[in-house]
Amino acid sequence: MRISLSNSLSIAIRVLIIVVCSLNFTQIQAQTDLSQTSLTPTEGANAWLAKLASAKNNLNYQISFVVMKPGIEAQPFVWRHGISPDGVELEQLDELNGPGREVIRIGNKVSYFESDRPPYSLASGYINGPLPNVLLADPLSLTDAYQFALVGRSRVSGKVAHQIRVVSKDKNRYRFNLWLDQKTGLPLKINMVDLEGQTIEQIQVTDLSVTEEPDPYLIKLLSTSLPDIVQLPPKAEIEQRWQLDFLPEGMKQINHDVRRLPVEGGLVEYVMLSDGLVDVSVYLQQAFSNAAQNEILGRIGSEIYLTRQQGNVLVTVIGKLPAKTANAIASSLTRTIP
Amino acid sequence: MTQKQENLSAFVDGEVQDENIVSSLVDDAEMAEKWQRYHLIRQGLRKELPKQANFDVSGAIASALESEPTILAPRKTWRDAPIVSNVIPLVRSGGQLAIAASVAVAMVIGVQKLNQEEQQIFNPAPAVVPGIQGGLSPVSLEQTQPLPRTDVREQQRRISAYLNDHRKQVLLKDSQRFLPTGESTDEVDAAGSELGQERENFPE
Repeated sequence: MRISLSNSLSIAIRVLIIVVCSLNFTQIQAQTDLSQTSLTPTEGANAWLAKLASAKNNLNYQISFVVMKPGIEAQPFVWRHGISPDGVELEQLDELNGPGREVIRIGNKVSYFESDRPPYSLASGYINGPLPNVLLADPLSLTDAYQFALVGRSRVSGKVAHQIRVVSKDKNRYRFNLWLDQKTGLPLKINMVDLEGQTIEQIQVTDLSVTEEPDPYLIKLLSTSLPDIVQLPPKAEIEQRWQLDFLPEGMKQINHDVRRLPVEGGLVEYVMLSDGLVDVSVYLQQAFSNAAQNEILGRIGSEIYLTRQQGNVLVTVIGKLPAKTANAIASSLTRTIP
Repeated sequence: MTQKQENLSAFVDGEVQDENIVSSLVDDAEMAEKWQRYHLIRQGLRKELPKQANFDVSGAIASALESEPTILAPRKTWRDAPIVSNVIPLVRSGGQLAIAASVAVAMVIGVQKLNQEEQQIFNPAPAVVPGIQGGLSPVSLEQTQPLPRTDVREQQRRISAYLNDHRKQVLLKDSQRFLPTGESTDEVDAAGSELGQERENFPE
């Protein structure tokens, strides 16, 4: 009797908690039209992603975050973004541990300051760093390859966050989970998850502040002299006599050339594949006579490295994608011109 | 004086108690020396001393060299040693190699470390059943085959060369779209034609 009484008491308490929670929930829902229950998970996700892109590209903010990858120590960063009085995008990404690395973007000029070489600039619309740029700045351009779904709310970095799941349409790339700040739409956590459900890369925001005016440091950058843009040698136009029959859905070949690498046999033919979010490098090289050199599979941080022999050619695939998929790409090599 | 030292100590810790501390560091040789020593002590206490501790013995060596009675090598003092001036600026055409070279060192270390811990980095990929695409199971420890040491070293070199190139390509991916094309370089053309010949043997 005592037991059943305490049981029913605990049930009553649980019911009460659920009622309070759902009341709270409906209140919050009333505050933000993006959480409307009438939206499907995809529509809900799209609305949040539009808010993310607009916030990422237009707000003045400072975000501190930590990047974690297997086998590598956590790396802390500070990321600032602002819009100058003339409407130019200003951005800074600063690695905080060790000698560090600072990257500054003013419009379409990105300057890299690294401890072990002279500073240089590239013509680019974004900073090459740990953040998945396209996913943040233009997520809806990824719909050829990925599906988005709003899966729920939780608390991240002390804020109410909406979770969005990013899954490749053919399920042969890593999944992403994205938590966005309810108030601003800016990212609070980004997880990259492998096919077995293991998190293999995590970006965790520890502090986020949005300000009315851009950070004074960013404004000061406008009057700083930055290194000139590196002039890249043009690529040779070379006929491609082979193709990859298997490409993950939404992934395209975006680059092709031939170059010399500091490896045995040196000369390689190169192709870059991209679905906008994941960049994959494919190299072709003459196979070695020593068979042990011809088959390699490994993971470095969150990147897969796979080499396999196809006929008398070695195919090497590198990128953030499952080994299974890398192997499927490598083994789909066929010759197009006899 | 003690106040000065206290200010200096605070400045080493990243706090500014006295606005004039920077100029006193520049003007006062004794203070500058202390500044250096404080940092060294701090690193020592935190066990962060670099492997080749860079004690500033240059002054001592210079005076020793000057009082050195016999000159064994051609008359060249330590001042002539090519250190900084010979570093090739990255922005020259060969600059991209500089990116690669420095990352290469880091990666080899990373890979070696991983190899010790997990042993899986250098395992040959398990043979794939013919006809089944994507049948390769993700890195399996059961498939371990010990490789000769030289092969491992060669593999490490190859992996880091490819990884560096991959990172460089990702870095430059967007950049190429923004830039005007200039004149073609001979090296790339030569590479192209050479490969054109080699390609005659490509997959059957």
